[in-house]
Amino acid sequence: MRMSKIVRTGSDLMYPFIFIFGWYVIMHGHLTPGGGFQGGAVVATGAALVIVAYSYQEVNAMIKKAILMFQESGGLVLFIGAGLAGMILGFPFFYNWLANSGSLFGMSVIPGPNPGELNTAGFLPLMNIAVGTEVWGGLTIVILYMLSGVEKEGI
Amino acid sequence: MKKYLAVIVILIITSFMFIIGIDFVFGAPANSDMDDYFIEHGQEQIATNNIVTTVVFDYRGFDTLGESTVLFTAVIGVAMMFRKLGEGD
Amino acid sequence: MIELLAHGLVLFGLIVSAIMVFYMQDLLAAALASGLFSFLISLEFYILQAPDVAISQAGIGAGLTTAIFIIAIRGTKRFEEGHR
Repeated sequence: MRMSKIVRTGSDLMYPFIFIFGWYVIMHGHLTPGGGFQGGAVVATGAALVIVAYSYQEVNAMIKKAILMFQESGGLVLFIGAGLAGMILGFPFFYNWLANSGSLFGMSVIPGPNPGELNTAGFLPLMNIAVGTEVWGGLTIVILYMLSGVEKEGI
Repeated sequence: MKKYLAVIVILIITSFMFIIGIDFVFGAPANSDMDDYFIEHGQEQIATNNIVTTVVFDYRGFDTLGESTVLFTAVIGVAMMFRKLGEGD
Repeated sequence: MIELLAHGLVLFGLIVSAIMVFYMQDLLAAALASGLFSFLISLEFYILQAPDVAISQAGIGAGLTTAIFIIAIRGTKRFEEGHR
C-alpha cells in the first residue's frame, strides 16, 4: 500500500532539502547549535518521509538494509577509532590530538566572542561526522524493520 | 462522586506544581565552578566556539560513547525482533 | 512581556493538542496531533534558549515518532472501535 500521488510528489520534492539541512547541522556542529546526534536525526527524518510515502517493495528496491547496517557500524568504529588514534600517538584515550596542531581542523581560535572558522576544533568534526552517520543509519533501519514487519503481517 | 474526587486530586496536583514553579529561577545554578572552568578554558584548549559541543564530545566524551553504544544496541534489538517477520522473500 | 505572551500561547497549544490526542477517533489525526504536541515542545525549548534540545526534539519527537505511528496505523485499522 502506498500513499497518494500528492504525498509521493511532496516527499520527492522535500527530501533533498532535508538531507542537505541535516548535513549542514552535522558539519557545523562545532560552530552552531546542533551536532552529530541532532543532524543525524534530521537526516533520518528525511529518509522516514520517503519510507512512509512509498510501498514496501519500492522502498526495498530503493534502500538497501546492508548499506545502512554498514553505515551504523562504521560510524561507531570511526568514533572509537578517533579516540584510539590518540592512544597510538601517546596521549590519553579521547584526548583531542588534532586541536591547535595546524593540520586538518587544527586552527586555533581567538578568545572572546567571534563568528568562528570551519577549520577549527581538532577531532570534534570527525566525531560529529561519525555520530551523525551512526544515528542516520540506526534510526532509518529501525523504521525500515518496523515497516517490513508490518507489511508482512497485515497488508 | 468518583468524578469529583478525580477533579479535586487533579486540582491539588496542578496547584502543587504551580507553587513549585512560581519562584523557580532558570539559569542560576548554586555551584558553577565546572561551568566557569569550561567557559574560560574551552576556547584555548579545544579551539572551539561552541561550548556545548566541547563539553559533549571532549570533556565528557565517555558519555557520548555510552550514548552511541546504547543506540547501537537498541537498533540491534529491533533488528533481531523484526527479522523473523521480514524474511521469506 | 512579549516573552510571557509567547510562553502562554505555546503552553495553551500544548494543552489543546494533548486534549486533541485524547478525544480523536481517527487514529491518523491523533498521531498528527501528537506530532504537533512534540513540535510545540520543541518551540518551548527554543524559547527557553536550548536550541540543541529543540533540534533533537523536532527531529525525533515530531518526525520519527510520528512516522513510526503512521507505519503502525498502516498495519492495523485507522479508526477506533466501540464507544469510548
